[in-house]
Amino acid sequence: MSASDVLIVGAGASGAAAAWRLAASGVSVTCLEQGGWLDQRSAPSLGADWERALQTAHNANPNIRRAAADYPVVDDDTPIKPAVFNGVGGGTLRWGAHFPRMHPSDFRVRTLDGVADDWPLAYDELAPYYEINDRIMGVSGLAGDPANPPREARPLPPLPLGPGGGAMARAFDALGWHWWPSDSAIASAPIDGREGCNHCGPCGVGCPRHARASVDLTYWPRALQAGATLVTGARVRRLIADRKDRIAAVEYVDAAGTAQRAVAKIVVLAANGMGSARLLLASASRAHPAGIGNDHDLVGRCLMHHPTAIVTGVFAARLDGYKGAFACALLSQEFYETDRARGFVRGYQMQLVRGSGPVATALGGYMARVPWGRDHHRRFRSEFAHTVSLTVTAEDLPEPDNRVTLDPVARDGAGVPAPRLAYRVSDNSRRILDHGIARASEVLRAAGAVDVVVNPLASAAGFHFLGTMRMGDDPARSVTDRWGRVHGTDNLYAIDGGVFVTSGAVNPTPTIQALALRSADHIAARLKEAA
Amino acid sequence: MSDALLDSILSTLLPGDADWPSAGSLDLSAAVRADCEAAALAAILGALPPDFAAGDADARESALRAIEAAQPAAFERLVAAAYLAYYTEPRVRIVVERLTGYAARPPQPLGYALEPFDEALLATQKRRAPFWRRA
Ligand SMILES: Cc1cc2nc3c(=O)[nH]c(=O)nc-3n(C[C@H](O)[C@H](O)[C@H](O)COP(=O)(O)OP(=O)(O)OC[C@H]3O[C@@H](n4cnc5c(N)ncnc54)[C@H](O)[C@@H]3O)c2cc1C
Ligand code: SF4
Repeated sequence: MSASDVLIVGAGASGAAAAWRLAASGVSVTCLEQGGWLDQRSAPSLGADWERALQTAHNANPNIRRAAADYPVVDDDTPIKPAVFNGVGGGTLRWGAHFPRMHPSDFRVRTLDGVADDWPLAYDELAPYYEINDRIMGVSGLAGDPANPPREARPLPPLPLGPGGGAMARAFDALGWHWWPSDSAIASAPIDGREGCNHCGPCGVGCPRHARASVDLTYWPRALQAGATLVTGARVRRLIADRKDRIAAVEYVDAAGTAQRAVAKIVVLAANGMGSARLLLASASRAHPAGIGNDHDLVGRCLMHHPTAIVTGVFAARLDGYKGAFACALLSQEFYETDRARGFVRGYQMQLVRGSGPVATALGGYMARVPWGRDHHRRFRSEFAHTVSLTVTAEDLPEPDNRVTLDPVARDGAGVPAPRLAYRVSDNSRRILDHGIARASEVLRAAGAVDVVVNPLASAAGFHFLGTMRMGDDPARSVTDRWGRVHGTDNLYAIDGGVFVTSGAVNPTPTIQALALRSADHIAARLKEAA
Repeated sequence: MSDALLDSILSTLLPGDADWPSAGSLDLSAAVRADCEAAALAAILGALPPDFAAGDADARESALRAIEAAQPAAFERLVAAAYLAYYTEPRVRIVVERLTGYAARPPQPLGYALEPFDEALLATQKRRAPFWRRA
């Protein structure tokens, strides 16, 4: 392969954003992605078997899905199972597209609350990149939320709330608590050649209208148009360091199964906080005996997931929650900022989740499985189309023992050791979740729920892999610097959620992408200077 | 193993009534076998009492509850496969439509109609002063 200025590993949310930004600045950029393109125009939601697809080929858990592009994840030491998708678009091929930003206070947790560490950058530095990202992803929503700093007018109006969302909005008002229509990376009306959402519901199997903004539809067409090269079916095995401070090449196995090497002036890891940490650890060599960037035993540590509880209200009235994008309606950030009187530090977000189809309802997607036996049909009827759920998304603080390591036995098809997850919900996170469960139950009851069902920890909610290559100015306390450059290795960057210092209590992708755009500008400026 | 035995398990998990067909009456055994891990299914079948199919509904239910308690993981796989097969079966989808109004068609290409977002709902929230912490 001919040399590029920049080689990106991973074509997901962050890799796509960086590829576009770099290519648009005139930088030659190549991206290696282990998966392929997904044809969303023929998504399973067009056929009778869509609920089966959601449980199998589109299952968010790679250990269940077991597609050719996947790698195994050893998860017996964590109550939260991995949820990722591998292909051009990465996790955004499977995501709910809920698109909130972190708050200014999230970048200053040590200063404000005396815990964890401050970020080496402030919200204001990221704000312009959030705006660029919102425009390219095509965000629906409404500016003016009092829980957040001002932002530009949203490109598109909010998505409909539906009957369940309307009832919840009134209940939040009645309790005097915050709610606001979610910023959603879903087009509520046509934009940039994408059709508007027609509220079909199962975004997770792909969107045949291209209303949901996965990055194969937003960033990648722009990046390719600007000259970026994308190599699919290319599974990176390791980074090769010829000197302590430099990556000489990246070794990968191509779609035909042949080992290849790619060289570039700068290598950028965008394989998500699990996959990128795994590659750093799997690239141990004489120069880097514990793995690249791991002189201080920090790579893979401080894994933050956003432990999530799901509280579901069962209503006597029909709410038809299977209508509408499942994860996008409204949020509440009433309990987001620290209030020590609550018995914990930091906070949480509540996000409305609509109902699901018959199979997922019976299997107990957000609640418990509907019991089998003689009471089954009655219970199914009382729940199906009669529920609305609130997720309680807790801010996880960085804990060194929560981590990604390499499994000594399991390997992927290219021979790379599988990542092993070790994770415990901390006492602080548990207190946050319990507070959120009580408040969510209260507001659901205020909305008229006749029953409230609590899932105290959603095991399937391992969507977010943050903190495994944390940023910082001090190389002894961080893996990457303020631009995502791996300390001690001049030409290696990480731009995915692994660089988060703390996690905030919001879905992380807008922040991941804003950081990726910012790092891309830094890399482009560096290359220009060197030339 | 005969389909009749699996059908009687399925009808115990998902019995029929005036509205719903029993799972055992819908020829679902091939689909359940395809979706349930073979080892899990074999473990459940191996634990059945010899006269399971001949028992009345109470006896069959208590036999399955005992197996569920002894082998929860394997049993869960069977239940999941049974629910998946049952609720994707067109004859069941027709019943779901009749009883709940959920159309027996795929979500796309038609989607569903929802009222657009009504900004008037935000009147109370719009009166609130910003409360994010400056940092
Ligand atoms: C079910 C689900 C729902 C979600 N909902 C939301 C939501 O509503 N809002 C939100 O903000 N976030 C959501 N997320 C999370 C979101 O998808 C991720 O935060 C985001 O995709 C992370 O971006 P990334 O660039 O770090 O990694 P990813 O998007 O995961 O991309 C990494 C890419 O790297 C590739 N890769 C990995 N290893 C290698 C290798 N060795 N060689 C080559 N390629 C490799 C992978 O194939 C993958 O395509 C959801 C995720 C899931 C699974
Ligand atoms: S709900 Fe909307 S965004 Fe989601 S898949 Fe359906 S049409 Fe696409």
